[in-house]
Amino acid sequence: MKEKIKIFLETDLLEKYLLGTTSQEETLQVERYIAMYPEVRTTYNELQDNLEVFAKMHSMKTPDGLKERIQNRIKSENTGRKRFFRYAIAASFTALLFAGASYFFWNQNQSLQEENLIVNTKIQNLEENMRIQLEDVRNQFIVLNNPKTKRLNVKGNSKAKELKAVAYINPVKKLSYINVSKLPNLPENQCYQMWAEVNGQMLNLGVIQEATDSEKLMALPYAENAVGYITIEPTGGNTSPTVENIVANISY
Amino acid sequence: MSILLENHIVELLQERNDKAISLLYEHYGDTLYGVAYKVVRDEELAQDVVQESFVKIWKKADSYDPTKAKLFTWLFRITRNTAIDKLRSANTKSDKEIQMDVSDVYKLGTEGINPDLMDVQDNLDKLDLKYQVVLEALFFQGMTQQEASDELDIPLGTIKSRLKIGLRELKKLYGTSMLLIYLISCL
Repeated sequence: MKEKIKIFLETDLLEKYLLGTTSQEETLQVERYIAMYPEVRTTYNELQDNLEVFAKMHSMKTPDGLKERIQNRIKSENTGRKRFFRYAIAASFTALLFAGASYFFWNQNQSLQEENLIVNTKIQNLEENMRIQLEDVRNQFIVLNNPKTKRLNVKGNSKAKELKAVAYINPVKKLSYINVSKLPNLPENQCYQMWAEVNGQMLNLGVIQEATDSEKLMALPYAENAVGYITIEPTGGNTSPTVENIVANISY
Repeated sequence: MSILLENHIVELLQERNDKAISLLYEHYGDTLYGVAYKVVRDEELAQDVVQESFVKIWKKADSYDPTKAKLFTWLFRITRNTAIDKLRSANTKSDKEIQMDVSDVYKLGTEGINPDLMDVQDNLDKLDLKYQVVLEALFFQGMTQQEASDELDIPLGTIKSRLKIGLRELKKLYGTSMLLIYLISCL
């Protein structure tokens, strides 16, 4: 171990380290030796003392004004630093503000996109509804305007004498409609329901609501020798017609 | 330099109190100016070097580690490196105006030596010239040991041994006077 320290001290690494001219690797090596071996540490401290002595031998009186110049430079360094911090704070504040604004706009954009989607869906639904209704009206017009269309007056039986309806049947276009123009009032828990017997099968055509449907034509499925029925059923409609409550039938 | 004062200056430096600069200048200014002058051999340039060195000392205060080097060693390194850089850039700027005259290494003139330090100068004269030349070349001229060996035409091994012996001799010369200075500064 002693030999190792002797070899180290014989190199000029410690002297180079003293002057700060060692490479990074050498610096680490020297610092390790100084930390590990008291002899090396003592030698290094002696070298430092000697350097100070040697440097002091060459002292020269500094010229007047140099101290003030240095102090002014340091002061301007400090204000420069302060100014830098002031700019840094301003910059961070701006960045923060920008981030906040970005988030706000992003959020707004997001909700606008959602709203846009909802509106688009609504428009699509409306278009679809209009298309269906137009189709319906067009078909009604074709049927009503066709010279081959037969007009049938429908009257209620004894259970609903006031019931009046008009059915339009067109065997050429195979379309038929019924317009229920007058329905006698029913208790609140009952309603009128429309049925059609086509090729031996009973089809549910839905509940007739007088207020809205009085001016509206209801489409009937077309078939040769079909029979339409109107029955009184509990509110909300029934799955199969109640035969004893038939108030009108239309043969076409 | 008393350890107490040194510690006080280091504390002030690390607190970024500019009193530290004032104290450093009072205690080390002359020595660092001398070091700078020895390297650049021009008073104007030496003043610039001292000024730049103090700014670096102020800026790098955080990087000073008292466990790795004494305060003066750190100050010396900064000043010496600043001076060598300055000399190099001055040389590239005007090769003819300022030239590092190698022959100056041999002359150890008394130019600019502080009269207060004449006794120190006397002591310096007691140090054999052959050691002085090597110490100056390595400490002030920014030469590596190899460069000093080439410039002074002295074998590398001799440079190494003269550096070691020269530094040891210095200690012998100053062993007593430094103790006195230390005692006086403590009083």
